Amino acid sequence: MTTQTAAGPLAPFRVIDLSNELGQLAGRMLGDLGAEVIKVEPPGGDESRFIGPFRGDVVDPEQSLHWWTFNNNKLSATLDLTSARGQELFTRLLDGADFLVETCPPDAAAALGLGIEALRASHPALVHTSITPFGRDGPYANWKATDLVGTAMGGLSSLCGAPGRPPIRPTASQAYTQASAQAVVGSLVAHYQRTKTGTGQHVDQSMQEAVTFTHDNASPTWDIRAINNSRPGNGREIGGYKSGQYVYEAADGYVAALSYGGLFGLTARQTIEWLDHHGMAGDLTSDEWLAKLDATQGILIPPAGEDGDYLNQVLVDFCKQFTRAQLVAEAQQIRNGWGIVHTPGDLLENEHLAARDYWVELEHEEAHVTYPGPWARLSKTPISVRHRAPRIGEHNDYVYGNLLGCSDDEIAELAAQGVI
Amino acid sequence: MTTDQSDRVFEGIRIADFAWVGVGPLVSKYLADHGAEVIRIESSVRPEPLRRAPPFVNDEPGLDNSGYYADFNSSKKCASLNLQHPDGVAIARRIIAECDIVTESFTPKAMRAWGMTYEDLCEIRPDLIMISMPMYGLTGPWSMWQGYGHVLQAAAGISHLTGYPGEEPIGTGVAYTDFLVPHFAASALLAALDHRQRTGEGQNIDFGQLEAAIHATETMVLDYTVNGREQQALGAGHPEHQPYGTYQCAARGDDDDRWIAITVTNDAELAALADVAGEPSWSSMDPDALDSAIAAWTRTQQAEELMQRLQNAGVPAGVVQTPEDLRNDPQLAHRGHFWMLDHPTMGHRAYDGPSFRLSETPAELTKAAPLLGEDNEYVYKDIVGMSDDEYVEHLVSGAFD
Repeated sequence: MTTQTAAGPLAPFRVIDLSNELGQLAGRMLGDLGAEVIKVEPPGGDESRFIGPFRGDVVDPEQSLHWWTFNNNKLSATLDLTSARGQELFTRLLDGADFLVETCPPDAAAALGLGIEALRASHPALVHTSITPFGRDGPYANWKATDLVGTAMGGLSSLCGAPGRPPIRPTASQAYTQASAQAVVGSLVAHYQRTKTGTGQHVDQSMQEAVTFTHDNASPTWDIRAINNSRPGNGREIGGYKSGQYVYEAADGYVAALSYGGLFGLTARQTIEWLDHHGMAGDLTSDEWLAKLDATQGILIPPAGEDGDYLNQVLVDFCKQFTRAQLVAEAQQIRNGWGIVHTPGDLLENEHLAARDYWVELEHEEAHVTYPGPWARLSKTPISVRHRAPRIGEHNDYVYGNLLGCSDDEIAELAAQGVI
Repeated sequence: MTTDQSDRVFEGIRIADFAWVGVGPLVSKYLADHGAEVIRIESSVRPEPLRRAPPFVNDEPGLDNSGYYADFNSSKKCASLNLQHPDGVAIARRIIAECDIVTESFTPKAMRAWGMTYEDLCEIRPDLIMISMPMYGLTGPWSMWQGYGHVLQAAAGISHLTGYPGEEPIGTGVAYTDFLVPHFAASALLAALDHRQRTGEGQNIDFGQLEAAIHATETMVLDYTVNGREQQALGAGHPEHQPYGTYQCAARGDDDDRWIAITVTNDAELAALADVAGEPSWSSMDPDALDSAIAAWTRTQQAEELMQRLQNAGVPAGVVQTPEDLRNDPQLAHRGHFWMLDHPTMGHRAYDGPSFRLSETPAELTKAAPLLGEDNEYVYKDIVGMSDDEYVEHLVSGAFD
């Protein structure tokens, strides 16, 4: 394997990244696509360098695994945006940039030179993307939000958790992830328009609104049936119809399946045959049950009540008898899309991902570290995971010297003044 | 508000959309809502599964009556085509010859069996961009495996991180990756489209949904590969912050399932929370005792009113909003999130628009979801160039079923 790879699709473009944890994935995705991403952080380091976990659990701004995860493929330049000299340098940085991604609170933006209209006037070709909790204007614009507030206000938490128990969130922050990833889409729509016309624009990404994307069918279900889908625990709810379990305990962990293991709808017949092959189909081979389940083929409304309870129990008893690998392999043979509930260790050892050469090793001073690999495989302009996250101000010489043309003396003076 | 068509971002870009269910249609929706001509290619013989899934208007099942399908397919056209029919593939290739992009999400054997792989299709459209979005990618031992979004969230490790501490990995209540990986796929597709605009070069995109979904697990992978630690689900909680949870509020009418998220990330926010509650001792209370005290307090409070008071004091807090709440949310209304569109059989219905606002070329949902085969005459006569006779011949033979 050669280390020389073709450039990514965004290789000709430069990104200035002023994002906190709400938007760091956005800049990284643009970097994965080949853009040169310069993370601009305050002297002393970005606040997200202090988010854990840390390598060896030692709090150190250069050892945050959060920082490492979301800032590989980026360069770092330090800059004090609150100083006049810092603002001047920032403007010059933007002169040579194609994208600006920032997460500045709306009421603080103008003072930091991030006003929408001001940037439109000074840098008309720039794609300026703001990622904020609720959007740059509107009644909640200046409200504060964490990831959980995002999953709550955007409606995901109402669909997540068990009935009668507290609504929850995925412990890996999904409101941040959704906001960042959707901001990349918006930025690239604007970028395509710029390629056609030469003119940039502002992209206003709301985290709350990004989370509304995750509702599955809850939005039309309310619109059409005036029913709120609700948190189904280990189950599913489709169009306001409650369905059975979808995670079942196997002999060595958990598997995930269609509700009731696919014992309704198009996969019902072959699933019954499969269970029957193992002598564990219960009453489901009876004419009465077959007729009942055949009737669910045209419309994907799951059985409920006692029938549902019975289907569920058949699957619970069945799955306990077999390993995850055997259950999923046999289910897939009958075109029933079961999967394994992977732990982190399972994923890293997964044969399929290994066969696709997914994981990437990046060199740190301290160690070689395994990272998730490219999230899409483009045949001509590949996405690549090229280098580790930068140390604080690691690329100041390149950014201020090579890009802005500052002399070594000037750079030293800026550092002495605390500007960089 | 109607935008001048010539100003629309993807004006002139045509997409043949063979993809099903969530991921593919949500990718092409981004393009359709910004001006691309997206042609859904579907069949009544083997209907797109979401057309058969509820909610249905008036609870009447029908291929043109599903709100689930409709919400994901705004601003698109639809041609019906039976790819199992002897003429099906040849007709599909004639459509593709007139398209810039092909999207599909079958397991890889389908396009191979039809002779419609990227290599095949490049012969008729050399600058084609094609994105294939199977669960596990185009290659590898699991490439022929089927799946669904609620299963893939489990395969990607997201379910492992979603549940109550120490309990089974229930995952989210939605087919989560269906609403996650489209952003990654669309980003790859748009970057490829921009590359083609600048260079004339098309390409193939192998988009394995699993490989994208793993990028939504935050530090799960590095905590394992660096520290050897398997992160665990914490309910609503956060590994570094407390209080950080959802708390039940007073009933609203006969609805006793009202909740608020209250999160504190620093001392100032904790002091502000204590101040709003009128409980100065909260600033120094043991975290678990504080959690119980907050829960007892919120049970007496109306969720919306409490959210306002906490936010006014600078505490990150928000109601656990239901789908109904979202329709009444003043911030989403301000941003114009929901679009009301008229559908021939489903009537005046709400559609979700994109979550970002472009200042100069905003999205526009130009029409409700298409009926199955609604645009056959346009696609087969105007785009493909069939004569009236040929069109009728294929219609009668069942190629358009």
